Amino acid sequence: MANKVLVADDEIHIIHVVAIKLRNNGYEVIAANNGLEAYDLACREKPDIVVTDYQMPLMTGIELITKMREDERTKDIPVILLTARSFAVTQEQQESLGVSSCLSKPFSPKELLKTIQDILYQRQLAVKC
Amino acid sequence: MRGQRSTVWIATAAAIVSLLMAALAQWQETGVAAGGDRWFASLCLAVYFVGAVGVIVLGVGYGRLLGVVTSIAARFLAPPSALDRPHGSGTSNALTEAVDAHLADGDRTVRHLREELQDLQVRSRLSERQKRHVEAILYSLRDAVLVVDGSDRLLMANEPAAKLLGFDAAHACHEPLAEIIGRTHAEFVELLRQSRCNRTEATKRELVFTQGDRPRAFEAIISCVQEDGKTSGVVAVLHDVTKEKEVAQMKNDFVSHVSHELKTPLASITAYSEMLADGEAGDEETRKEFYAVIQNQAQRLNRLIEDILNISRIESGLIKVKKEQASLTILIEEQMQMIRSYAEEKNITVTSGQPIVYDQVHVDKDMISQVIINLLSNAVKYTPAGGHVTVGTEVDEAARLVRVTVTDTGVGIPEDEMGHLFEKFFRVSANNKQAKGTGLGLNLAKQIVEKVHDGRMFVTSKVGVGSTFGFELPLATAEQAAAV
Repeated sequence: MANKVLVADDEIHIIHVVAIKLRNNGYEVIAANNGLEAYDLACREKPDIVVTDYQMPLMTGIELITKMREDERTKDIPVILLTARSFAVTQEQQESLGVSSCLSKPFSPKELLKTIQDILYQRQLAVKC
Repeated sequence: MRGQRSTVWIATAAAIVSLLMAALAQWQETGVAAGGDRWFASLCLAVYFVGAVGVIVLGVGYGRLLGVVTSIAARFLAPPSALDRPHGSGTSNALTEAVDAHLADGDRTVRHLREELQDLQVRSRLSERQKRHVEAILYSLRDAVLVVDGSDRLLMANEPAAKLLGFDAAHACHEPLAEIIGRTHAEFVELLRQSRCNRTEATKRELVFTQGDRPRAFEAIISCVQEDGKTSGVVAVLHDVTKEKEVAQMKNDFVSHVSHELKTPLASITAYSEMLADGEAGDEETRKEFYAVIQNQAQRLNRLIEDILNISRIESGLIKVKKEQASLTILIEEQMQMIRSYAEEKNITVTSGQPIVYDQVHVDKDMISQVIINLLSNAVKYTPAGGHVTVGTEVDEAARLVRVTVTDTGVGIPEDEMGHLFEKFFRVSANNKQAKGTGLGLNLAKQIVEKVHDGRMFVTSKVGVGSTFGFELPLATAEQAAAV
C-alpha cells in the first residue's frame, strides 16, 4: 500500500510540483492550502507524513505542528517543514515540536523526496524493532 | 644734599682756620707781653692745634654720616637705578649695599607675588570659562547627562536628564541621588554606585525608562572621574536608542520580508525547472504547464523587485516620472478588467459607480494604474467569497480634485492598526493568516499619490463590515488640457 503524504502550502504551484514528484514515485498525495484545512485532513486521513509550509493563512506551519502534537490522533505523524525564512525556526524549536526535518525554500523536489524516503524508512525500522 | 655737604666742609675749614689764627695770636701776645713765658705760650698753641685736629676729624665724620643718611633717604625716595651711589668706602658702603640688597629682594618678592596673583586671576577666569563651556555643552545636549560626586550626590544634571528621570534639576543639586530617584529608578542608581565602587572607566549598559506610557531604550554610558587614585565622581550619559533599535528592527524585517518574498516565486521556478530537467514532466501538455508556471513566477519575481526599486527610487527622488493628460475613468476600467478574473475565482463581484463627467488628470499613467490595481487586488484578497467590491469616483469642483474610492465588504482593519497601514511591509495581523502579501502595495500607492502627484491617500474601515481605501488627485488644469 502506498504511503500517504499530506502537503500543506498556500502556494498552489508548490503543492502541484510536490504532488507530481511524489506521485511519480509511488506516493499518495493529499493537499491543503492553509493550516486549518491541513489539520482537519491530518485528523481525518491520518497521513504517514506531513510536508508543511511555515507561513500559511488561517494557521501557520508552527501552529499546525503544535496542534498536531497535542492531538492524540496526529501526535506521532512525522513532519517536514518548508520555510523561506532560513532563521525562522531554531534547532531547539524543531526539537521541541518534533519536526523531523526543515528544508529551506527554494528547495529541490529530489531532496524533498529523499528526505521523505529516509524518514519513512527510519520509522519502519523503528516499528519493526 | 650736595649743598649741605659743601657747607659742612666750608664751616669745618673756617673753624680750623679760626683756631689756628687764635693760637697764633695767643702765642704772639703771650710771647711779646710776658717776654719770656714761652712754655705757657707753646702749651696754648698745642691745645689749639689739638682742637683744630679734633674739629677736622669731627667734620670728616659728620660729612660721611651725612652722605650715608642722604644715600638712605635717596634709596627710599627714588628707584635704585636712578640713585647716585656714594663713592665712599668702609662701613657706610657695606650698610648701603646691605640695604640695597634687602630692598632689591623685597622688590623681587613683590614682583613675584604680583605675577602669581595675575597668573591665578588668569587661571580662575579660564576655569570659569571652561565651566561655562561645559555647562553650555551639557545643557545643549539632547542626551540626558548627570554628574554625581564621590558620595553619589547630584552635582549637575541637564534638562533631558531631569525630564527623563523625573526630578527638579534646580532643587536637586547636592542631594543624594538615591533620595531623588531611588524609588523610581533604583536600577540606574545602583549602576552608578557599582561603577563608582568598581572604579570602572566606562561602562555601557542598555536600560529601559518609561516616558509617558511608552518604554524607551537608552544606552547608558557611565564614566568614573578618577583623582589621586580615588573616584571623585561619576558621569552618566543616557542616549535614547529607541529609534535606532526600531530602524534596525525595520531593516531586519525588511531583509527578512524581501528574502521571503523573493524566495517564494524562486522556489516554484527552481522546483519546476528541476522537474523539467529530470524529465518528470511526462507529456507535452505537462511540460507546457511547467513552462507557464516558471514564466509566471519569474514575472511575479520581477514585479516584486520593481515594487521595491520603485519605492526606493521615489524615496530617494530618482524615479523618472512621465506625466500626461489621462482619463481616470479609462485607467480605472482597464484595471477592473484585469482584476475581474481573480475576483470571479473567489466569487466576488467588482462594480463601478456612475462615471464622472470631467475625469481628466495630469498623471503618470503607469503609476496611477499601479495604485488602482493595488487597491483592487487588496480589496478582492481580503473579502470573503460572495462579497462585493465597488469602485467610486467623484469630483470636488471647489477643491479642483477627483476622488477615487475602492470599497469592499471584507474583514476590516482593527483601529489600533490603522495608523500603520501605509508603512513598508506592515501587514494587518489578522490578514497575515488570511492571505499572502508583501506589505509593499499600500506604501507604494501612497508614495505614488502623495510624493509624485501631490495627492492624498485615505482609508476608513470597520472590522467585520469592510474597508474603503481611496485617493485624491488634482484635476488637470485648463493649460494642461489645452496642451494635449
